[in-house]
Amino acid sequence: MQVGLKVWRFNARTGERELAEYEVDAPEEATLLDVLDIVKDKHDGTLAYRKSCRMMICGSCGMRMDGAAVLACKTRMYEIAQAGHVPVISAMGNLPIVKDLVVDMGPFWQKFMSVDPFLRPGYDEPPGGRENLIRQERMNVIHKESLCINCGCCVSECNSMESDPRFTGPQALAKAMRFIGDPRDGHKIERLDALNGEHGIWECTRCYFCNERCPKGVDPRDAIAKLGAESMKEGIDGDMGAKHAKWFVVSAKTTGWLRETELVPKTQGLVAAIKQTRFALDLAVKGKVPPPVPPHVAKNVRQARRLYELVRDEDMNGYAGIVQGERALGKLAHGHVSGETLEEIYSRPGAFPRPYIAEEDEETVTT
Amino acid sequence: MHVEATHDVLVVGAGCAGMRAAIEAHDAGADVGVISKLHPTRSHSGAAEGGINAALGNAAEDSPASHTFDTVKGSDYIGDQDAIEILCREAPGDIYQLEHWGAVFSRREDGKLAQRPFGAAGSPRTVFAADITGHVLIQVLYEQLVKRGITVYEEFFAWKLVENDDRCQGVICWDLLNGGLKTVGGKTVVLATGGQGRIYRTTTNAYACTGDGAAMALHLGLPLKDMEFMQFHPTTLYPTGILLTEGCRGEGAYLITKDGERFMKRYAPNAMELASRDVVSRSEQTEIDQGRGIDGSIFLDMRHLGAARIIERLPGSRELAMTFAGIDPIYDPVPVRPGAHYHMGGVETDNDGATELTGLYAAGEVACVSVHGANRLGGNSLMETITFGRRAGRAAAEWALSHTTVDVPRSAEVDAERELRELLDVADGERPWQIRNDLGTSMLENFGVFRREEQMLAQLDIMDGLRDRYERGVVIEDKGDVFNTDLTQAIELGNMLDLAWCMVQAGIARKESRGAHARPYDYPTRDDENFMKHSISRWVDGAPQLSYSEVRVTEYEPMERTY
Repeated sequence: MQVGLKVWRFNARTGERELAEYEVDAPEEATLLDVLDIVKDKHDGTLAYRKSCRMMICGSCGMRMDGAAVLACKTRMYEIAQAGHVPVISAMGNLPIVKDLVVDMGPFWQKFMSVDPFLRPGYDEPPGGRENLIRQERMNVIHKESLCINCGCCVSECNSMESDPRFTGPQALAKAMRFIGDPRDGHKIERLDALNGEHGIWECTRCYFCNERCPKGVDPRDAIAKLGAESMKEGIDGDMGAKHAKWFVVSAKTTGWLRETELVPKTQGLVAAIKQTRFALDLAVKGKVPPPVPPHVAKNVRQARRLYELVRDEDMNGYAGIVQGERALGKLAHGHVSGETLEEIYSRPGAFPRPYIAEEDEETVTT
Repeated sequence: MHVEATHDVLVVGAGCAGMRAAIEAHDAGADVGVISKLHPTRSHSGAAEGGINAALGNAAEDSPASHTFDTVKGSDYIGDQDAIEILCREAPGDIYQLEHWGAVFSRREDGKLAQRPFGAAGSPRTVFAADITGHVLIQVLYEQLVKRGITVYEEFFAWKLVENDDRCQGVICWDLLNGGLKTVGGKTVVLATGGQGRIYRTTTNAYACTGDGAAMALHLGLPLKDMEFMQFHPTTLYPTGILLTEGCRGEGAYLITKDGERFMKRYAPNAMELASRDVVSRSEQTEIDQGRGIDGSIFLDMRHLGAARIIERLPGSRELAMTFAGIDPIYDPVPVRPGAHYHMGGVETDNDGATELTGLYAAGEVACVSVHGANRLGGNSLMETITFGRRAGRAAAEWALSHTTVDVPRSAEVDAERELRELLDVADGERPWQIRNDLGTSMLENFGVFRREEQMLAQLDIMDGLRDRYERGVVIEDKGDVFNTDLTQAIELGNMLDLAWCMVQAGIARKESRGAHARPYDYPTRDDENFMKHSISRWVDGAPQLSYSEVRVTEYEPMERTY
């Protein structure tokens, strides 16, 4: 098949950028990485990009296609080429470009290092030097976070990092959750404390781009939510972001509605709130702020309170609530839900012949 | 250019073996540097899927002795038995240590590490993390590397070993990110550069697996051992050659023909799909050759495992099948065929990773201790990287700490600079890719699962031609300093051409069928009298020269090998 690509080239020596266009002949099963290889071999040996495993596990080939981060090896070109679309390929975002599609991963690894990315055992080693005994369900808490291949796609897309390059960022925070949720680690409070500071978990704007673009289903935003919930549970709630989130809960519990007028003083404190009085009045005049008195109480406020109690009674506090809510392993599975029996699968229209052993059970051969 | 830095121990390669060696050398008190042409977590150890073997006895009665027996038998009796005994004895301790470091292994109901059945193993012995075991190990080893603050020279392409005073004293590298040749000195050097599967066009191996370490050692005149033994993995995905783990069959998947017949009954009536890899690959190839496959593939059928088990235990394999073949294994069998996977041979070492050259050690796939002999058992290679990576790291540190100086002669650097210029200055000629493709295609055709004398001889001629074309000079279009992979790929091709020559030469000379070296047309059986020995390839005057060495036998006498 004929495949067209536009690639944002970047000359390391001159700093010049150029949108180069290529058209190559590629096999139908070709991925974006295969097409880049053809360009490099047959058209322009100077094109630079990273690659290694070509099976979505080494994390080398993160780049952008039409502005969204992808792994080149995971991106099949057939449908794109058939549609006559010529995608624009560029280097990942939020990281300095070194050459063409190669970025400097230095800042990425710096943030990775900043979360102490190694187990800090908190307990004595088990007797006899054997393994720690841990149920699989308990390990599932960090299953998704441990799938991360450090490709950088989430960091590339992170909107918070674009406005604050010092934000710890989705990858490093997911890595932090991998240790905070690990029953073998003994430094949870210390770790959470560190992540609650400036540039920490509360700086995430919850845009969900990282979840959307992660090629491995790590869902970094969910990891950040788990870290927030666990911080609250442990009473680490001094950050403005934590106060903000807490007020949502208090407000919903007491009146069943979010009381916006109280949100600013509860989050930023009284002084900051007074400084914003003028802004609040402007909003009020335009009808954007409900009057604080009398408080707006939802008709079925009891239901809101009951919900709150239910979550509390089920001990769904902290990361446990989020992990169990998402059914970690199920979500990995490309959303598989159907529950056909084997017999139904074997007799689907066009199904592949069912397995048999010659001589022993030849009668089961489907013809 | 001059010496960038000097370390007590310099490890080349940052996969499981390299990182384990670095950690051990550090813990032994050495100052350690690690060189890798990739970032460490991008190493191909991370693509290992199914698991790592240790006789923990968590799932059933097991013992290091039983593990040893299976491995000796699997090696078709040319694994060195003392080395295999070390591996099997020390494996459990190494696994527990990885668990204590934080490896996210899969668990049993009782909280112990889960173990699954694997090919040719007498007991469910394979510890695993779903089907991403290598990924989990590479992460935990990198975490431990970071914890110790070990220096890593990322994206440094190792090009030449520095030999001076009959010692290995460093490595000359091409700095990919910034350009330029850089020398890193080491009192000892540990090669852990992995395999060379890219010699074949259809392979499970990463683009990085080009045998750089083995080629560097070869060019220094060191012996490479058992080069003819390339393992073909039975389940690589059609058409890309991407690996689907043996764990699929460990969890109970079937291999079937296009009509649904479980053909392994005819080749390995007891072990069925879980026979040794060489046996399964040959069976598949026979079925395919006799027309019972489709598009040169037979089928891996997981349907009867059910969605829940596939999703819990084999999520990565399902993702690969869906992404690269468009098939959901819950509903349809996956087309698979044998593909080049693991090179049993490599740089000859003793049981502590030491090579013939003082100060040079090797561990992992680049090395040949040998624990795999003529055929590796699934799950044994990850274990080898850890156990022998550790032993090599320890030995390298001990030697380094009892010696003081490092001296890289200026002439070595000048020679390298000149050679680099010559490479880059070629203006007219062929681009390397056609030679690379021709090598890969012809090796698959003539030196694959089954080997015929005339095809192997023809392959020698083909490779003569390929080397001629290469030596006439290939054009490197990128003359720049920054991220010049055009240059490194050309160097890699040169390495692969020389290693492939060693492989085919050793293959022609081995007139028997043993393990992965199958000659059904002229020498269909094993010949212990003449060939129960290791092939040794040495580079002499620009060509490999073949000799043989004895297999170390402890207590396991050769027996007929059936499954």
